[in-house]
Amino acid sequence: MADVTKNLKVYTTYGPKNAKPAQPAIVAKMITKAKRPLLVVGAEILKDEKLEKAIAIAQKGIPVAATGHTMKGLKDAEGVDAKYINIHFLGSYLCDANWQGLDGKGPYDLILFLGHKKYYINQVLSGLKNFSNLKTIAIERHFIQNASMSFGNIKPETHLEALDELIAEL
Amino acid sequence: MSELKSGTFSIEELENVQITIGSIVGAIEKAAEEEGDVGPTAKPGISDLRDWDYKLLEKYNPVYTPMCDQCCYCTFGTCDLTGNKEGACGINMEGHNAREFMLRVITGAAAHSGHGRHLLHHLIDLYGKDYPLKVGPSNIIAPNVQLVTGKKPETLGDLDDALDYVEEQLVQLLATVHMGQEGEAIDFESKALHGGMLDHVGMEVSDIAQISCLDMPKAKENTSLAEIGMGTIDPEKPVLLVIGHNVAGVTNIIDYMEEHNLSDKIELCGLCCTALDMTRYRTEGGDVPKAKVVGTLAKELKMIRSGVPDVIVVDEQCVRADVLREARKLMMPVITTNDKIMYGLPNRSNDDVEDIINDLKEGKQDGALILDFEKLGEVAPRLAQEMSKIRKEKGVTALPTDEEFKELTSRCVHCLACELDCPTNLPISDSMTSAAEGNLSPFEELHDKCIGCGRCEQACPKDIPILNVIEKAAQKVIREEKGKVRVGRGQISDPEIREEGVNLVMGTTPGIVALVGCSNHPEGTKDLYRIGDEMLKRNYIVIVSGCTAMDIGMYKNEDGETLYERYPARFLKGNLINVGSCVSNSHITGAAIKVAAIFAQRNVAGNYEEIADYILNRVGAVGVAWGAYSQKAASIGTGCNRLGIPVIVGPHGSKYRRALIGKPYDEEKWKVYDARDGSEISTPAAPEYLLTSAETVEELMPMLAKSCIRPSDNNMGRMIKLTHYIELSEKYLGIMPDDWYKFVRTETDLPLARREELLKILEKEHGWEIDWNKKKILSGPTTKSDVSAQPTNIKRLCKEAC
Ligand code: SF4
Ligand code: SF4
Ligand code: SF4
Repeated sequence: MADVTKNLKVYTTYGPKNAKPAQPAIVAKMITKAKRPLLVVGAEILKDEKLEKAIAIAQKGIPVAATGHTMKGLKDAEGVDAKYINIHFLGSYLCDANWQGLDGKGPYDLILFLGHKKYYINQVLSGLKNFSNLKTIAIERHFIQNASMSFGNIKPETHLEALDELIAEL
Repeated sequence: MSELKSGTFSIEELENVQITIGSIVGAIEKAAEEEGDVGPTAKPGISDLRDWDYKLLEKYNPVYTPMCDQCCYCTFGTCDLTGNKEGACGINMEGHNAREFMLRVITGAAAHSGHGRHLLHHLIDLYGKDYPLKVGPSNIIAPNVQLVTGKKPETLGDLDDALDYVEEQLVQLLATVHMGQEGEAIDFESKALHGGMLDHVGMEVSDIAQISCLDMPKAKENTSLAEIGMGTIDPEKPVLLVIGHNVAGVTNIIDYMEEHNLSDKIELCGLCCTALDMTRYRTEGGDVPKAKVVGTLAKELKMIRSGVPDVIVVDEQCVRADVLREARKLMMPVITTNDKIMYGLPNRSNDDVEDIINDLKEGKQDGALILDFEKLGEVAPRLAQEMSKIRKEKGVTALPTDEEFKELTSRCVHCLACELDCPTNLPISDSMTSAAEGNLSPFEELHDKCIGCGRCEQACPKDIPILNVIEKAAQKVIREEKGKVRVGRGQISDPEIREEGVNLVMGTTPGIVALVGCSNHPEGTKDLYRIGDEMLKRNYIVIVSGCTAMDIGMYKNEDGETLYERYPARFLKGNLINVGSCVSNSHITGAAIKVAAIFAQRNVAGNYEEIADYILNRVGAVGVAWGAYSQKAASIGTGCNRLGIPVIVGPHGSKYRRALIGKPYDEEKWKVYDARDGSEISTPAAPEYLLTSAETVEELMPMLAKSCIRPSDNNMGRMIKLTHYIELSEKYLGIMPDDWYKFVRTETDLPLARREELLKILEKEHGWEIDWNKKKILSGPTTKSDVSAQPTNIKRLCKEAC
């Protein structure tokens, strides 16, 4: 089993409230329990084999917000419900209780993040941490302290293993 | 008695008496009155444009993404503000973050205005207060100054007055940062916008003063090309490196070198905007630039570590704090020349030139503070010649030898500490492995993305000088770093605006893309080349300045050409123009102001709100600060925002911690008045933000096209802009944008070649009614098609309201 919570070093930002470390199985449970989860996939995913992991998660019926130019990698994936949105816009809309989501079907209750630049996603999440009550989970290679829960700082191979475990449990 | 004028004059029969009159109270005000109307907000105080700010903020909501959840501003705290909690003084997270953002803006504005103040004092000392401003063939010689202060400056002395106003306002704004002042975020936001506006006045003062006095190009087309890049520097010659933004003292160095026939014997080069301004100095007549540009702040540590410079001269802004510490290790004396940066060095301004040179070359001191520019002009080049000999004799080497390189790369234990600390998490560890095995290409690739910050070295438990390793590995690439940068042209002149303004307002020139800011590009300098090339091919006007003007010239196509060589440099569609250095950014807002003034005949003086409203609704311009990191970039962007120009920053720009983003789904927010009768009209969310970030260049491209759409586009203009938006989205994201149809008012707005296809989509997916015989839209659009409508956010500008 991939242990993803050993290194929780916080790098450049600070807050008294930091993400809880989360193992893949716990994350999977949270996703299964959520009513309106959203997977936010960033363009870093296009650089390596994580893209197929994101597709596999999306194929479990989780809608995708494709930020940056991630749509390039997702538009032809079967069984994936993905829409483009700028991540800064998304961060702003998610704090607005009146926003009905990318599909107009109502607000989300759990947001997952994968494939983002560490410093960038931490900024977006700091907005959500301070100005919304959303549950946010980072399943990145780095400890994203501004999410509600996050994997720790892990090596690329451990990350792939952890994503596989997560997918298997969904 | 004839009227008194400012200046110095003598009185007949009193031979030894000279009277100097600095400024006459009310003189410029009087001149301004004679010029014509002055609008309602000449020299606005903090609250005078608050209504306008509130209108903007109602549409474009502040989005806060704090870096730190605490406030430690006073000893009442430290306070935890997580979750928008209140601190001991009652301020909440929103308020504190708005305050911090404002502080960032006024810090940037103060840097530019402080620079302007220094330069202006210097130039007034040399040329006198009555020296006329000369910026090219324009009547509006200082659009920002005129717009904000209500006065048209004619002389250096008049700029003094504008700067007095800026300084007074900045003090008022700074006062509100104190604990127990402003309590609501929205008013800190309004103050931030005020600070941004002041910044453009301060920048304009700085630049038009130097353009006027230092024979810099004056709104000149196709200025010469200067050399740029570490590879252009000849290390065999004595190398004199200048770093910073304020060219004042450097002009004395250039003059001394020319007078003593040293120009060919010494390699004079610069980093950051001083370098750009050196290339502008005395090139008004198209002369060859008198210095080379090394590059941006990202090259600062790399250039010093290369060991090539023999002497370093620094002035102000964007100069690394460790220049002296780094230079000391390599026997490079450092001369500081401005009281903003003195590095603890002894003040030698009043000492004998020979003594200073002797002390420095003998290493008695690491450097000197020289505030007397005459002395600086002589000391720096002479010392560079001396130090070059000494350093060569002593065999000062900087980068590791081949053996050392092998040892260093093998020493790496792959703990990844450096990568986690690297601002862009560059793959250092794997590159070490490859380098140890003799493959340098991963480091060569990394070199272009590395911003030379040195943070990795601070983290390495094995004390590997990582930056030196990168630089050693990338020697081949560095030697080839030979680009071109077009010498900054200054303003856009009134005749140029007359020629192109109509196309911009109608939308037939699809927009202005202003690429500005620093060098923190997420994927290296190639990013800028790609953005510039794509938009230029599509006939946008691309304006560059400052570090972006440098970096965009660092990248070449397969034929070895930079964008400067590939595209002409007039203020016309499909042209690439460089306005100049950081303070030249004021000419970009200046151009937008001139469009309103010249094309639409709006009064400029003291008429901020009306001009900004015009720009927001009609001038398709967008700023991109792709690699922005300085506080100055925050103030430049915020000044654009108050004037109605949206700005996109790169992903690192999210660390400014505040964006201004609208909610297109809240349709009520996007209504404006029609100035013809005061009725309300719906408009698309265009622009839909004033400040946001983009994740990748690919995402940025369609955003740029969309950001140039304005409510008042005519059909041809809208068609052109929409074509680019759809095409760029398809090219870079692989999809039709979700919201393209929201910009369609009538069938003539549709891209011509795809009209039928798009009408079908409108009918099928959006339920619009189409008359297929005439290929006309019968119903569906939310915005009415009436190109003579006059959209405005300001009720008082509507006919009915008067
Ligand atoms: S300024 Fe206010 S929030 Fe900040 S430390 Fe002082 S009391 Fe706390
Ligand atoms: S010097 Fe370069 S590699 Fe090192 S931390 Fe800075 S950007 Fe990263
Ligand atoms: S911190 Fe030093 S030892 Fe660790 S991976 Fe980086 S270069 Fe190697």
